[in-house]
Amino acid sequence: MTPTTRTSRPYAWLPALLSVLLVAAVVWSSLAGVVKIAPADLLSSDIFVNLRLPRIVTAILVGAALSVSGAAYQSVFRNPLTDPYVLGVSSGASLGAAVAIVAGLENSTWGIGAAALLSALATVWLIYRVAAIGNRLHTSTLLLTGVCLTLLLSAVVTFLMVLHQDKMERIVFWTMGSFSSSSWFDVALLLPVVLAGSFVVIYLAKDLNLLLAGSETARSLGVEVERVKRLLLLATTLMVAFAVSSCGVIGFVGLIVPHCMRLVCGPDNRRVVPCSLIGGALFMLLCDTASRTLLQPAELPVGSITAIVGAPLFIYLLYRNKKSY
Amino acid sequence: MIKLCDLTLGYGHRTVLSHISLALERGSFCAVMGANGCGKTTLLRCVGGLMRPLGGQVLVGGHDVATLAARPMAQLVAYVQQHPQTDFEFSAFETVLMGRNPYQRRLENESQADWDIVEQAMRQTGTWHLRLAKLDEISGGELQRVMLARAIAQQTPVMLLDEPVSNLDVQHQFGIMDLLGGVEGKTILIVLHDLNLALRYCPSLILIGQGGVVYHGPTCEGLTPENIERVFGVSASVDGGYIRFLH
Repeated sequence: MTPTTRTSRPYAWLPALLSVLLVAAVVWSSLAGVVKIAPADLLSSDIFVNLRLPRIVTAILVGAALSVSGAAYQSVFRNPLTDPYVLGVSSGASLGAAVAIVAGLENSTWGIGAAALLSALATVWLIYRVAAIGNRLHTSTLLLTGVCLTLLLSAVVTFLMVLHQDKMERIVFWTMGSFSSSSWFDVALLLPVVLAGSFVVIYLAKDLNLLLAGSETARSLGVEVERVKRLLLLATTLMVAFAVSSCGVIGFVGLIVPHCMRLVCGPDNRRVVPCSLIGGALFMLLCDTASRTLLQPAELPVGSITAIVGAPLFIYLLYRNKKSY
Repeated sequence: MIKLCDLTLGYGHRTVLSHISLALERGSFCAVMGANGCGKTTLLRCVGGLMRPLGGQVLVGGHDVATLAARPMAQLVAYVQQHPQTDFEFSAFETVLMGRNPYQRRLENESQADWDIVEQAMRQTGTWHLRLAKLDEISGGELQRVMLARAIAQQTPVMLLDEPVSNLDVQHQFGIMDLLGGVEGKTILIVLHDLNLALRYCPSLILIGQGGVVYHGPTCEGLTPENIERVFGVSASVDGGYIRFLH
């Protein structure tokens, strides 16, 4: 006899459902916008091929990267409040972008992105150096260092903005995050990183489950704890750094999507991670499409949409789960 | 099966146990006893490869624990912690199923054989009816039995059990000790506090005190009034295979 509920994958259909919804969202997003394009003319339309489509693909890749990383972080740190930015990737990237803007690179998307990426990676590297004792990573030191450095770097960014008030708007807009300048170049950079990074996390999903039981238990059940942690943090950090440097800091997605998936299909990361991948892509694409169509031709910051849509949904799921006890 | 060679254990500069050398035969069912904080858990953690000794060597089944990778180690030794973490969302069944991890490949689901092994382990420990409960929904004694079920499902030749019966009622204490004493060929190190339970079930004993091993040998010869006084500071008399405390 096999037990029925909670163990026998009650939501095996969820990835399929999310995939169907993602395809539908791609279709909607392709057709929606200030310029109306007939479905038959899509592939011959320059606006679609060079503006809308790369934007759609970038949003999908960034949503997937943030959600998969969030799911991994929440298990590695055994902390439900961790999001992909907790190790300082976002503040590092913001500082890099702000410096680039102040230094006169404000019209070079490429320059800002490169500065953000380098600065993000340097920040995380610094945090690792602080938190590593020998070859062991102390996760709570890692978290605290991340939080502390995030505050410090944000303060430096604020400082830069006050000193360069003419560039303030540009810096603020960058840190709010947007896909409005996404290009095929972003896709080309993101695609390999997100594919490889997501594969690593999915490959290690069972180890993530065991890490949730504590690192001693994980070790005694056959997990090379330090190696697995390092590999996971490397994969997720690269994904998040590339995502942030291509579109700025978009909050909430990486925190909320894994939680929503967990609330629907249980704690098993073998389900949570793939569902977060598709669900994060779907959520980000919907939010971005809403951000550019709700008040067209004006564009809303996508980060505010993710929070306004995501928070009530999350609270509803928490409420629904509470009732099932 | 387990061989400790001039083992010194501690944390940083604080030495807890020094210069321990002893060997346990395959199939030993051995109690580890001593006062609070004397280093029983430290010894188990070290044999389980969860911490490095300050000096000396641990051999389990002929392998040096310090150089063994996590996976072969997990196929060799099961370890039940004294204070398992319970603040996670998995059910008791899923928790026991994790005991099969050392035999599974990544990206591979559990086989029917794994499910059967888990069911048997849960039935043996009387936890099958708890299979759908989350770990924070069950009592301390039930939790200990779930953890023991996971160690049994791990099917290792060596088991290290850190106070696995401390929260159990009398009936379950006897049930679990019967179960552990009844398995053939497993080498079991078990931390106990109940001297009479050790006397009744465990053929051999390691008595820890004063920073080292005070006694290693047959339990009935080791639990003398002198040794009890020396290790626990309590006077006792032993009559008819039963220890009576004169306190």
